[in-house]
Amino acid sequence: MEALLFNVSGGFLEGIVRGYKAGLLTQNQYNNLTQCETIEDFRTQLSATDYGNFLANEPLPISTSTISDKATQLLVDQFNYLRSNAVEPLSRFLEYMTYAYMIDNVILIITGTLHGRNTNELLQRCHPLGVFDTMPALCVATNVEELYHTVLVETPLAPYFRDSVTAADLDDLNIEIIRNTLYKAYLEDFDAFCQSLGAPTADVMHRILAFEADRRAINITINSFGTQLSKEQRAKLFPTIGRLFPEGNNTLARADDIDQVRQAVEPVAEYRAFFDTAPGAGGGRPNGAGSESTANLLGDLGELGAAAELEDRFFVHEVHLNKLAFLQQFQYAVFYSYIKLKEQEIRSVTWIAECIAQNARDRIHDFIPTF
Amino acid sequence: MGDEYPTLFRSEQMSLVQLIVPTEVAHDTIAELGELGNVQFKDLNPDVNPFQRSFVGEIRRIDEMARRVRFFASQIEKEKEPIPIRPLYDSAPLVTVGPRAAQTLDELDVKLAEHEERLTQMNDSYQLLSERLRELVEARHVLRETAQFFEQAAVRETEVRTSLDDSSAPLLQHDDREQQFGGGDLQFDLEFVAGTIDRARLSTFERVLWRVLRGNLYMNYIDIQEPFVDPATGAETRKNVFIIFAHGDILLSKIRKVAESMGATIYPIDVNPDKRADSMREVTGRLEDLQIVLYNTGANRRTELMTIGESLASWQDVVAKEKLIYETLNLLNYDVRRKTLIAEGWCPTRDISQIQLALRHATEESGTNVPPILHELRTNRTPPTFHRTNKFTEGFQTIMDAYGIATYQEVNPGLFAVITFPFLFAVMFGDIGHGFIIFTAAVVMILSERKLAKADLGEIFGTFFFGRYIILLMGLFSIYTGFLYNDIFSKSLHLFHSGWDVNNGTAVSNGHTYPFGIDPAWHGAENGLLFTNSYKMKMSIVLGVIHMTFAVCLQVPNHIRFKRFSDIYTNFIPQMIFLQSIFGYLVICIIYKWTVDWDKASTQPPSLLNMLISMVLSPGSVDPESQLYPGQSTVQVILLLLAAVCVPWLLITKPYLQWQEMKKIQGQGYIGLGADDVPRHTDDTTLEGEEEGNGRAVVEANDEEHEEHDFSEVVVHQVIHTIEFCLGCVSHTASYLRLWALSLAHAQLSEVLWDMTLSNVLGMPGLVGIVALVIVGVLWLVLTISILCVMEGLSAFLHALRLHWVEANSKHYEAGGYQFVPLSFARLNEKQ
Repeated sequence: MEALLFNVSGGFLEGIVRGYKAGLLTQNQYNNLTQCETIEDFRTQLSATDYGNFLANEPLPISTSTISDKATQLLVDQFNYLRSNAVEPLSRFLEYMTYAYMIDNVILIITGTLHGRNTNELLQRCHPLGVFDTMPALCVATNVEELYHTVLVETPLAPYFRDSVTAADLDDLNIEIIRNTLYKAYLEDFDAFCQSLGAPTADVMHRILAFEADRRAINITINSFGTQLSKEQRAKLFPTIGRLFPEGNNTLARADDIDQVRQAVEPVAEYRAFFDTAPGAGGGRPNGAGSESTANLLGDLGELGAAAELEDRFFVHEVHLNKLAFLQQFQYAVFYSYIKLKEQEIRSVTWIAECIAQNARDRIHDFIPTF
Repeated sequence: MGDEYPTLFRSEQMSLVQLIVPTEVAHDTIAELGELGNVQFKDLNPDVNPFQRSFVGEIRRIDEMARRVRFFASQIEKEKEPIPIRPLYDSAPLVTVGPRAAQTLDELDVKLAEHEERLTQMNDSYQLLSERLRELVEARHVLRETAQFFEQAAVRETEVRTSLDDSSAPLLQHDDREQQFGGGDLQFDLEFVAGTIDRARLSTFERVLWRVLRGNLYMNYIDIQEPFVDPATGAETRKNVFIIFAHGDILLSKIRKVAESMGATIYPIDVNPDKRADSMREVTGRLEDLQIVLYNTGANRRTELMTIGESLASWQDVVAKEKLIYETLNLLNYDVRRKTLIAEGWCPTRDISQIQLALRHATEESGTNVPPILHELRTNRTPPTFHRTNKFTEGFQTIMDAYGIATYQEVNPGLFAVITFPFLFAVMFGDIGHGFIIFTAAVVMILSERKLAKADLGEIFGTFFFGRYIILLMGLFSIYTGFLYNDIFSKSLHLFHSGWDVNNGTAVSNGHTYPFGIDPAWHGAENGLLFTNSYKMKMSIVLGVIHMTFAVCLQVPNHIRFKRFSDIYTNFIPQMIFLQSIFGYLVICIIYKWTVDWDKASTQPPSLLNMLISMVLSPGSVDPESQLYPGQSTVQVILLLLAAVCVPWLLITKPYLQWQEMKKIQGQGYIGLGADDVPRHTDDTTLEGEEEGNGRAVVEANDEEHEEHDFSEVVVHQVIHTIEFCLGCVSHTASYLRLWALSLAHAQLSEVLWDMTLSNVLGMPGLVGIVALVIVGVLWLVLTISILCVMEGLSAFLHALRLHWVEANSKHYEAGGYQFVPLSFARLNEKQ
């Protein structure tokens, strides 16, 4: 049925997004990029790709943050184009995608305010996709209830927040709990929404969201080792849509060390590989750290390297899943996947630029290619 | 061949040339060739990354310069009052060739950098000052608005206060405060925050505050009328003054925090009206000072931009040229010792002497005595297609190029389109008046073409201007066909004595023949439409068959040129016979039928359409009632047989010949070796002997795939070709009926327009008649131009285009070439 009617409202945008996807950097272009000697070379090389002349009017020298910002701006422009052309239910779907960024932004601002950062600086660091009107007012809040009642009550995040409202003060642990509760509620809601859209969107999106849920569950478990987070509290943070749910989640909730985590994920064949050589393999990289400050805030120092390594494997698997989404037509998951892949590409490009700028050529190949 | 007079019949003969250029003259040589604009350079380092090539450093530098020039241009563009940019032809040329070239470029680089630095500095200070000015203006607004508010409130406050005093005793605390503020005339016991905020965010701001303070506030806001303009981007923002009253330090600090994070600016306002007046004065004073400073800075900046505008055009030109030169240099190959550069490219054989002259000139200019060496290479690759056009033929050639670029040295249909295209257009557009209008439009464009060519015309008018010579010929031919149809704005001309006398409704022939075009007596006759329909329909078939026959004939020069003599009797002759035996016969019948005086004939005039159908469906039998001439059935059977024979002829002979040739080659014991290697070997050894190996093309590896003599492919191709041709003949002939249909539609439309507008008012008497005539006349003229000339003209144009592309080109045009794109500075300007 969707083959008959999908194109009425979604055909144009699917075409657009598949066109965007064709513009993602190829392995060959990544190779060319890694051979660059200077950032200027890098710019010349990028101008031959779909990025075009996005850096042409920047005065030299170009910082890597400029590259990242400009590239993100391109992504945001594309997303906004999609969103402004979308109709229901695709527009709802795209809206849902922005909630994740909103959660990140909310957490970023309240963490920043807690640590006494300048509000304007924080606002600039927020992801443009997750900006909402009343966001700046977040910095006034001092406890969770206030946070909810002053700002979040009128955002789409309000329903997610309702369950976790306590009068507790805002501290690092609480913020983390809030973040994970929000994410859990968000993922479950998004999944429910996708299910309401029916196959094939539901099938493809469920695969991606289930992995996202499991990834969060594993991360929470690993990062909560040796913190005050009680096991009951921990169990409450696990999203219930993953492939590990329910028995895997239960095992994770009881886990005390990384071996038990490994046992918990054992039943799922794809996840087994994540832990194959995870401990011992050194070398984390800051790539994922922006979105995953969990690893830094709660993480045990000894396991930080392993966690970062694990993070990389998660990213690789996520990229893989997102690539699979393009194999099916007449469904909305391509929009989600494209944005995720493009984000990954921006991370990779920034990583390469960073390596070039800091002359760390031996690690330049540690990015995660998309196509 | 190269000395032949240039012709549009075939594309130019091209040569693959190799240039050996000493490094020191390389830049100047390329510059000179770019001015000349007739060499297309080949990429000799296809495997090298763009940023690993030899001249990347220079390109990067040029890019940086280009960025600066773009920056200047955008700054000048943003300026509200336009800054004159001196046009290129008016400014002193920047010489970037010769011994001082490098120095000139360095100087330019430094100059650009200096200008940029100065401009950014000025921009920065200008922006800073504007920012401060904006703040002051905002502060003034806040002061003014709050003052008003306080004044209004003060009046009310006293009323309230008195009433309060009456009803209840003041609290002690209240007394204290009263005493504390006793010095002021009227005071408030509420603290407040005042400032400005973006109007778009006002409602959010209010909402957030309401929630944060749980409603414990009083907020008032007033619109600031004039918008604030950001000097850098020119964007307008509209702001509001707000004043918020709340109680308690914590609440106030919360308000401040929210306001700051929402991008509002808070101004300290004093409660005391005297102090407010003081600060108002101060603000106004500072504002005046700042405005003067700002004006001076702006004027300075403008002067700087004026200086830049003086030479911006020449900078743009130089930068674009230099970039092109270095990009071309990157295509060249260094020899082993890196002393010389080797270039390869295509150029018209005729122009080689010109190029050599240019090379010598470049050497002299650069002041060295090592000239670049040019020699021709032998190659088996297909050269690019280059038609030398002028401003007249360019438009027609573009029409054909849009269909496909001609194969190298193929007969170029663009040449014939010069006449056939306007003619077929005119057949559909025939009207003296309308033809004259578009002819005049074309003449106006041509007369002012020097002026118009320089102006930016926009896409739509630019297209018309580009096709001005096409329009000219279309107009002329339309006038001609208009005479043939005897049609001017749907009326007819009585140029000669008519051949009919009309006596009360019936026309009687007076033995006279109208010498040219259609007799005006047909105009308005009851059977006039019937007559013109039949006439135009037959005429379109005749024209169509002639056009297609001509197109088929154009195969012959191609077959001779490419030495495919067998194609003449495997393709051309059967096609010709097939076409002529059916449709050629139809044309002859049409003409014969016209010559017969059917009043005196013994039989009824036969329907030619039925004749053609029965010729194919029931061969050999002709109804004697509708016989055109005696012996008709025999002739028709013979013709039909001829056509029938042509189909297998067309289908089989060519594949058979190929197969035979293949057998012959195999029989002689040859195997499929790279056919091009054997003859070259001998050539190259002699060449190498003479020129020490310089004669070999540098890049030979990526030759085009040599033709596969796959037998099945030939068969499939020929089958498709045969089916296409035989079916195509039928459908294409029918397709030419569009000439009739469009011409009819055009004539009817113009008649309807005339009847509905002018003919109603022409006879009206008196002043009313004159006024009506003027109004309706203007209406008629506007509709004539917009609907009949422009819209109908475009439609006829499209149909003429289709007849050329589909009906004619499919008969002979291979269009398998690729365009010759020489390195040319002139093209660069066109692009800009």
